[in-house]
Amino acid sequence: MDSEIPLPPSRRVRHRSPVKNPPATGAAVSFQRAQRLSRFDDHSSQPSSDPALFSSDDIPASGLENYHAPVSGAGRKRRYRGTWWGEQVLDPKRKRADFKDKRNVDSGVWMGSDESVAESLLPSEDGSAWGEDLRKSVLDPRKPGSSIPVSIETENMSSQTRIAFKSPEESDPHRFAREVIGDCLDKGHESIDLGEFNLGTIPPGLLLPLQHLTKLPSVKKAPVSENVFTSLQPFLSIYLPNNSLSTLHKDLFELSNLKVLSLRNNKLAEIPSTICKLTALEVLNLSVNQLTYLPWEVLKLIQQGELKHLTVRPNPFLTYDKAKIAERHYNNKEKENHEDLSPAVQSHTERWGPLHLATGTITYMDMEGNPMGDSPSSNRLTLTPGLASPVNDAPSLREVALRAVSKLPYLEQTTDEELAEYPALIVPLLQQAREVRAAGGKSCSVCQREYVIPRAEWMEWWDLIPFENGMKMPRCPNEMLRPLPFRRFACSLSCVPGSC
Amino acid sequence: MAPSTETEFVTIVSSDKFEFIIPRSAAYVSETLRRMLSSNNFPEGRTGVCVLEDYSGVIVEKICEYFCYNEKHKDQVNVPDMDIPPELCLELLMAADFLNT
Repeated sequence: MDSEIPLPPSRRVRHRSPVKNPPATGAAVSFQRAQRLSRFDDHSSQPSSDPALFSSDDIPASGLENYHAPVSGAGRKRRYRGTWWGEQVLDPKRKRADFKDKRNVDSGVWMGSDESVAESLLPSEDGSAWGEDLRKSVLDPRKPGSSIPVSIETENMSSQTRIAFKSPEESDPHRFAREVIGDCLDKGHESIDLGEFNLGTIPPGLLLPLQHLTKLPSVKKAPVSENVFTSLQPFLSIYLPNNSLSTLHKDLFELSNLKVLSLRNNKLAEIPSTICKLTALEVLNLSVNQLTYLPWEVLKLIQQGELKHLTVRPNPFLTYDKAKIAERHYNNKEKENHEDLSPAVQSHTERWGPLHLATGTITYMDMEGNPMGDSPSSNRLTLTPGLASPVNDAPSLREVALRAVSKLPYLEQTTDEELAEYPALIVPLLQQAREVRAAGGKSCSVCQREYVIPRAEWMEWWDLIPFENGMKMPRCPNEMLRPLPFRRFACSLSCVPGSC
Repeated sequence: MAPSTETEFVTIVSSDKFEFIIPRSAAYVSETLRRMLSSNNFPEGRTGVCVLEDYSGVIVEKICEYFCYNEKHKDQVNVPDMDIPPELCLELLMAADFLNT
């Protein structure tokens, strides 16, 4: 009919045109090329798994009208391999092993579809050229490896980056330690022995991979009994005895599943309070160091964590007799003599638990962290220190600002020279913030808040005899208590015991 | 003119002439401001206006915010952290040194 509206022909042409004349864009070319290079193009219509085996009766015999008819062929059903819609396999005798061989060459799973993927499927001459291929095709996907200057550039680039990745001044002990740790990671060894490596420091990044250490399953032979199924969670132990460590990197305290840590015979003068992050720690050996006190957080690990075996002697600890004691918490009620430290052991906690013996005098610090009253550098403006300003729970503006500083991402990279460009007033504060950051942050031992400048510190004396012998036996009734000094910091004046 | 030490509010002026009117008790958080504002010998004490020549309006605003924050959380146990933009913290450190707080 004339009145009938004809179909818009232009539209069909437009619709079909990209199929007729595929535009020579890089993406389409590369797509075609990827198809051509595919390893699966020989039977591309077939799935990669074995074709399913189907069976059916003959079509006329299986009809409803022949339901009671005798089955011809005595139960024989028609069998065929192929897809359910009837497509037959070209080579029905194909073995499963053929597919297995194919699978060994390549997993066949690629998440990309551009040319770089197709090229990287091809075996290259050597490893570095493989990387270059990939880089080239990523950088310039339309012209794969065409221009010489590009390849020269990338070669230079890669050699530079290779140098940058490998730190040039890594010393021998560090390299050996890295090898040992890599070996343990590969084999799934859960006990890392870095004894007598002459390590002066723990380089950053050395211990961090141990976070992901997993034990290898121990099943070897076929008869499997119940008890071979064990947890693959490692009983992670790090032994660093007989080194010359003077500081501990904060990486060590990120290993939250560390169970055994030995730092015997090192040059540690202080244990950072960040040790409280090692909540799974069970055995800690700090003997033969230069420690004069322990961080209070070790005590927290005993009280709230799993720490059962603490070896801290010998160390040049502060002696209890000469210490300034503000308050004694534990003394024998029967004997008035405080110096006689033999406990009247009765209850379970008194036999097994830690005993708080005494608290030392509290040193208050001003807003810059200098001890109040002692140092002449403080009290520049404050003529009546401590008395005029009431006890204030809110952090000082310095502290608030320093907490913001310590969260800055680039703080660790700043050097002393860069710091020297800042006004001299704040340089020590910034240095302190950087130290706190390097130690992995500090938190107040009373209120758990993070702080940069401590406002008070004091010593607490505790007796840990049951923990020193590994919880093997309790305190004996007539045994002398052996007090250990624990240094404790507080973030504000109101966190000090007795003030609240 | 009545001695301004009895007025409830004081005015803090920044170098670019922004004025911040805050409670006197909040300003007294700063030891320096307390001395300036409570004395009758200084002009600040007589007028109740304190000009911080060295600090711009952005910094003085943050300082005043801190004064109120400190005043509010004076006796509380779990004080939340005050939010400080990283670009201001170095100048605030300098200001904290000047204000002695």
